[in-house]
Amino acid sequence: MKKIILVLIILISTKLSIAESSEEKGYNIAKSSYESGRGFTDMISDQLMILIDPKGNQVTREISAKSLENLDPYDGDKTITYFETPKDVEGTVMLSHTHINEDDDQWLYLPALTRVKRISSSNKSGSFMGSEVAFEDFSAGDYRKYKWKYIGEEVYEGDLCYVLESYPIYENSGYTKRVGLTDKLLRARKIDFYDRKGELLKTVFFEDYNLYGDKIWMADSMKVENHQNKNATIFQWQNRKLNVGLDNKDFEKSSLMRLAD
Amino acid sequence: MNFENRIENFAITILNHRIKVVFSAIILIMLISSGIRFLETPSGYRGFVQDDFKYYQDILELEEKYGNIDVLTYVIKPDKGDIFQKDVLKLINELTEASWQTPYSSRVSSITNHQFTEVNGDDISIDNFIINFDELTEENLSNLRELAKKEDSIVNFVMSESTNVGLININLEMPEDIAFKKPIDFAWNQKMIFEKKYPDIFVGVAGSAQFSHNFQSVAEADASKMYPGFLLLIIILTYLLLRSVMSSLIALLVIIFSILPSLGSAGWFGFEAQPPLIAAPIIILTISLAHAIHMLSIALTNMNEGMSKNDAIIDSLKINFTPIFLTSFTTGVGIAGLNFGDIPAYSEMANTVAVGAAFGFILSVTLLPALFSLLPIKSNYKESTMLFFLKKLASLIYKFKERFVIITSLICIYVFSLLPNLYFDDYFGSYFDRVPEWVEVKDIVDPEFGSSFFTFADIETNEPNGITNPEYLNKLDEFENWLVQQESVADVSTVSDVVKNLHKNMNGGLEEYYKIPDNKALIAQYFLMYEFSVPYGMDLKNQMTADKSSSRMLIRTNYSTAIETVAFNKEVNSWIENNLKPFKTKGVAGIPIMMPHLFTENTNGLLLGLLFSFSFIILVVGLSLRSLRYGIISVIPNVVPFILGFGILTLFTDMVTASHQVAVLISIGLVVDATIHFLSKYQKAISMKLEADEAIQYCFKYVGYPIIIASICLFSGFIFLTQSLFFNNFVIGGMCAIIIIIALLIDLLLLPALLLIFGKKA
Repeated sequence: MKKIILVLIILISTKLSIAESSEEKGYNIAKSSYESGRGFTDMISDQLMILIDPKGNQVTREISAKSLENLDPYDGDKTITYFETPKDVEGTVMLSHTHINEDDDQWLYLPALTRVKRISSSNKSGSFMGSEVAFEDFSAGDYRKYKWKYIGEEVYEGDLCYVLESYPIYENSGYTKRVGLTDKLLRARKIDFYDRKGELLKTVFFEDYNLYGDKIWMADSMKVENHQNKNATIFQWQNRKLNVGLDNKDFEKSSLMRLAD
Repeated sequence: MNFENRIENFAITILNHRIKVVFSAIILIMLISSGIRFLETPSGYRGFVQDDFKYYQDILELEEKYGNIDVLTYVIKPDKGDIFQKDVLKLINELTEASWQTPYSSRVSSITNHQFTEVNGDDISIDNFIINFDELTEENLSNLRELAKKEDSIVNFVMSESTNVGLININLEMPEDIAFKKPIDFAWNQKMIFEKKYPDIFVGVAGSAQFSHNFQSVAEADASKMYPGFLLLIIILTYLLLRSVMSSLIALLVIIFSILPSLGSAGWFGFEAQPPLIAAPIIILTISLAHAIHMLSIALTNMNEGMSKNDAIIDSLKINFTPIFLTSFTTGVGIAGLNFGDIPAYSEMANTVAVGAAFGFILSVTLLPALFSLLPIKSNYKESTMLFFLKKLASLIYKFKERFVIITSLICIYVFSLLPNLYFDDYFGSYFDRVPEWVEVKDIVDPEFGSSFFTFADIETNEPNGITNPEYLNKLDEFENWLVQQESVADVSTVSDVVKNLHKNMNGGLEEYYKIPDNKALIAQYFLMYEFSVPYGMDLKNQMTADKSSSRMLIRTNYSTAIETVAFNKEVNSWIENNLKPFKTKGVAGIPIMMPHLFTENTNGLLLGLLFSFSFIILVVGLSLRSLRYGIISVIPNVVPFILGFGILTLFTDMVTASHQVAVLISIGLVVDATIHFLSKYQKAISMKLEADEAIQYCFKYVGYPIIIASICLFSGFIFLTQSLFFNNFVIGGMCAIIIIIALLIDLLLLPALLLIFGKKA
């Protein structure tokens, strides 16, 4: 219900504000879309990552994750990732305190070393576990990371969608431009990514949307097709649970230390 | 009706329908020539090999797993001092950043964006090796120099050991069938911008991408610079030789009309405009020119002696039909021997010339007489001085025939004794040694890095995550240690280097930990960590497969000759066989391995081609002369020029490359022609019951002058080819020119003497 009201507000506001520039309109849609996905408080899930090479060979990686919503409008969420397969990396844990347009803080617990290492790097543009997904893609919907521009509307898989262009603000981003489709339920459906030389690099398809807590649409599948190296990655979320009662204490360096002891 | 009458009837028919002949020839030629637009842009070294060539397949397999092997490299060298100067590093940094814009680029690596790990207890910070360029002090710079020298993945990859030269390597992910023009144009533009901004620092463009692009740029430069000059030379030459503007025009038309449709056919066949193809029009031109000169000189002589224009050309056709046919035929067959080789570019060139030879013959006996009859031609043709000289020569030979034979034999025996020094080899490093821009960069890169080429080895474990096995990484290390001791290898980089570095950094940066840990899980976790910490375009995807079952070794190789490379490859394979178990590899692959092998295999093919062409041509000569005796006599003037030619080669080098063999195949058909002309005239003279000395005089009168003229045309054509920027064309041109001149001397001096001694007497 809340959703529908929100949509109505946006529809009305877009109709009313004729004077609104395409930048403002794009920004507003992106902001509403982002906000419609907020309010999960915390979340746990299992994730399956399937890497597919041009010949069709597949490699599967299993991880599970916890995340904590950060209500600070100027900072990002906190996440913990547990690596389960391949067997050799089982027990490896990564804690990230993400930031919007700065490098994230990251700690890594390596069980074979029984130590926690703090890693600082400008790796947001880097590949996640050798996949076609970059770290920065996980927060692809965060309106604060981009400059926006509304382009028009387009029908995608039977649904009328907003076409939004966005330009990254983070200086070490691997991209120069993105062109995305967001449907009228404010769900991102598909985003084209353009690389540093302005050429189409990859397309991310958000699929398998499910309604969580009766109010938040979350894509339980993300498919990435790299147009340049012809590799693909499929990311699937399973057993996703919202609002399970995690708090800040679960996302501190000391919680990794406990594993190290 | 005998053969001569048939030719006469044919000639009369041509002249009766001369306008129809001219028009239909022009229309047909235009149609076929329109195929020129389908000539494909050369796809660099890839177009130089057959798709199923084993060493090319190795590269393709490697690319399927790890991405394209092509690298575009900037070479940066300050005029003074090494690269650790503020300005130089700033340039490298700015150019590195700009290089992400290079079309088709997938990664960019240089000393400035090298991912450097700093360790402070359990805090690990990974960042670009050099930052804050404006605040660098002298002390910072010398610290950086010392640090850089210790980094395995910097030295010999993005910086020379002497620290004097820096490189920026850009990996290109080229779509299939796309030439390197776009990235290369981009790079040259950058070079210009940065050299202007930093006038005291040299910026060069190198790497396999530039090497590959050279094939295209050289072919284009040759075509646009060599052809116009050559046409001009031909116009002057034909006028000087024939003394008739109209006759020169006819010769020119016949030449152009032989070249255009052969290039058109090449287009219809889907050939690539590789540098060797550049030689084709020049060879066709010389053959057609020789045809035209033979036809026109005799026609003009006939007119001088009072014949009507039509009778003069009919008579010339009667005399020249068979020799012209044989010339085209033997040239076509000779050069077709190149099809036994393994390089499509040369087969395509050969087949284009063969087609051109056919057009040359057809036009010389149809279009040429028709035009001769149509156009207003006056004969000012004088050959008195030349004829006088030839008469003198003939009597001189008659007088000293034994001495001529003995002296030539002695020379041949001496030269023959030099030939065992010759050996077959090839050096692909010299291909573009005539391109100044390439040489300028090569002279900086080669002494510092060996070459700007890489070789690779895909080492497989056959199990997912197998490369995290310490046993595997130690084996890589062992292989690397063996490889770096080989003369062909400048440096090696493997994933085991990455692991050693990580192990050190995860243990407080202590040097004693610079080794492979004995714990598979730990190594796997290191890789996971590493993958998490590097930015866009810096990951290990081009070094390991996604399932981590195999990894790729990167080997910086020195330029080597074909023999050295084949030996190196054998040694590598035997090391692999004896030491690499239980791991597997197909061996080393890359341009420095493929090109030399290509030429080794090509050489074997060409030897077969030579055998084919030689025996076929000797057979044809024997058959056309209908005499075993003359067939045998003809072998001597046809073989001696090659022996002497290679004897002269020993003055410059003992290395016989594929280009020298190509030169033999091109010139064999041309050398034979003069012999056929001479022998057939001699036979005719004998059948006219002339005495031996008169027979020689007769030969000199009727074919001496045309042979000299044709040889001059061929000689100047090949001398022109030596102006090519493609080193192989230069060698082919030079070698052919030498052989043609020797063949002329042999035909004028030795052959008559041989005929006087061994030929039939009236």
